[in-house]
Amino acid sequence: MNELTIAMPKGRIFEEAYQMLLDAGFNLPEEVEMSRKLMIEIPEEKIRFILAKPMDVPVFVEHGVADIGIAGKDVLLEQQREVHELLDLKISNCYIASAGLPNTMMNEIAPRIATKYPNIAMKYYKGIGEQVEIIELNGSIELAPMIGLADRIVDIVSTGRTLKENGLVEYEFIAAVTSRLIANPVSYRMKGERILDLVKRLKKRVN
Amino acid sequence: MSFIKKFEKPLGMRDTLPKIYEKVETIRSIGREFLITRGYVFIKTPTVEYFDTVGKASAITDTQLFKLVDSQGNTLVLRPDMTTPIARVAASKLLKEMIPLRLAYFASVFRAQETEGGRPAEFEQMGIELIGDNSVFADAEVIITALELLQRFALTQFKVTIGHAGILNCILQDYTESIEQQQILRSLLVQRNFVGFEEAVESFDLPKAKSDALLQFIEEAVTVNDIRDIEKYVRKNDALTYMQQLATLLEAANLAEYIAFDFTLSSHMSYYTGMLFEIFATGSGFPLGNGGRYDGLLDVFGSKVGATGFSIRVDRLLETLDTEESQSHDTTVVLFEEEQFEAALAIVQELRAVGKKSVLQLRNSLVDEQAFLAHFTEIIVVGQEEVIDE
Repeated sequence: MNELTIAMPKGRIFEEAYQMLLDAGFNLPEEVEMSRKLMIEIPEEKIRFILAKPMDVPVFVEHGVADIGIAGKDVLLEQQREVHELLDLKISNCYIASAGLPNTMMNEIAPRIATKYPNIAMKYYKGIGEQVEIIELNGSIELAPMIGLADRIVDIVSTGRTLKENGLVEYEFIAAVTSRLIANPVSYRMKGERILDLVKRLKKRVN
Repeated sequence: MSFIKKFEKPLGMRDTLPKIYEKVETIRSIGREFLITRGYVFIKTPTVEYFDTVGKASAITDTQLFKLVDSQGNTLVLRPDMTTPIARVAASKLLKEMIPLRLAYFASVFRAQETEGGRPAEFEQMGIELIGDNSVFADAEVIITALELLQRFALTQFKVTIGHAGILNCILQDYTESIEQQQILRSLLVQRNFVGFEEAVESFDLPKAKSDALLQFIEEAVTVNDIRDIEKYVRKNDALTYMQQLATLLEAANLAEYIAFDFTLSSHMSYYTGMLFEIFATGSGFPLGNGGRYDGLLDVFGSKVGATGFSIRVDRLLETLDTEESQSHDTTVVLFEEEQFEAALAIVQELRAVGKKSVLQLRNSLVDEQAFLAHFTEIIVVGQEEVIDE
């Protein structure tokens, strides 16, 4: 049996996905000590976890240093990498939406959109025939309309609380987001049996 | 535009330093000998072609082409693949001399520059085209040649996944209700987005029998070890019979262990009309190569014959090969003082006459003698002083 390397985002998604693997009958330790480790070896199952920033999981998988990985649909839509999308794990449910100050119109000449998803935002507004200017930010996107940097933001929304607390309202729904199991195209062929077995077992836990 | 530093190369371009050069050269000579033994002859086409002919006929999308303008104002492209230029030469010239044609190449191709690493804008491809034979035997020959070529390079962990555009089309036609639905599903399969495929099938509101069949097909068709497993989904058609024949031929060649069928395989290379395949090997995170039948491409250049072929990316093949030290260290250096030039020349000439690699070097020109001599296995000093540390 070949070693299987799985790239996982740190934090809550790791815990949820790890629990799914346990439920699916994988022989993993009940508790993993997260601390600052970036790699966890599970010799019993010949599995190795790589812990990464959510945005980096598809990078590891595309380059084949991880065979499979768990990535949010938001990241997949944004980066458009060459990975196989095998399974919707239906965890960390949220969505991408546009938001702004209540009762405002977008600037007619050069509407500005602040976001950490420049590609998703650009594609969405092109799709509805709107030419916008994108301002890329890395965090605290909600600030942008409040201080007059942008007319709208495009961001991920889970409960909508952050928007409300900052006095913003949602305008358009753009895409639903859940965590997905992705695979490297070469690993998908060379380690196909292991990967398909894992997909099959996880699929039972999803439904 | 940012300031260009002196050491910089244009984005996506790579230098080939001596060690890698030798490795590539080894691959080239092994591959060349292998293909020549099978009756393939090598050809070379220009680096630059017209956008309106080769550029447009190529399956590489417009945005990925490297474009230039010539002195007459025509748009040119750096060749994005070798299949299209070869189709051009074959249709306009070579097919008049011989049918079928067996052609091979080892050449650089060019794609648009990308900022991220691991995606060179220029890379070498090795491949073959078998033009003018429409039979399943030609396709079998191409796949067998690809597999045996990899064996020749001593690769052990590799796989060829074979699909058929016709079978996939047949299934998509039978189980959907409009051409748009087929296109949506096909483009999801090109991206291998199985989640999206399932979601799309559900959103189409198809009769249950159809949607169930599609979903079950997608689950089973990705790993078909026995082609007979797929028969229940497809009504009897030529493509299926063709693939059954192909499977039998590949079994006869004793290569079944390297082969898997995947009837969801759908290529972004739009010119593949029939059988198509992808080549994978452990060691590279990206596919090693691909191939297939492209009967329509020759038609673009005015010839109605069919063709089939494959190509392998040399840069990725290098990643998968064992990185054994090459034999660049078996060179002798002859160091001489100015007055001993004649004697030293005689020595190297003797060495070279028996085929030994030898370098003639004036000792006074050396800046760091130790570092220089470390590159040689044997050191001969002509003159008084001995080398202190050999």
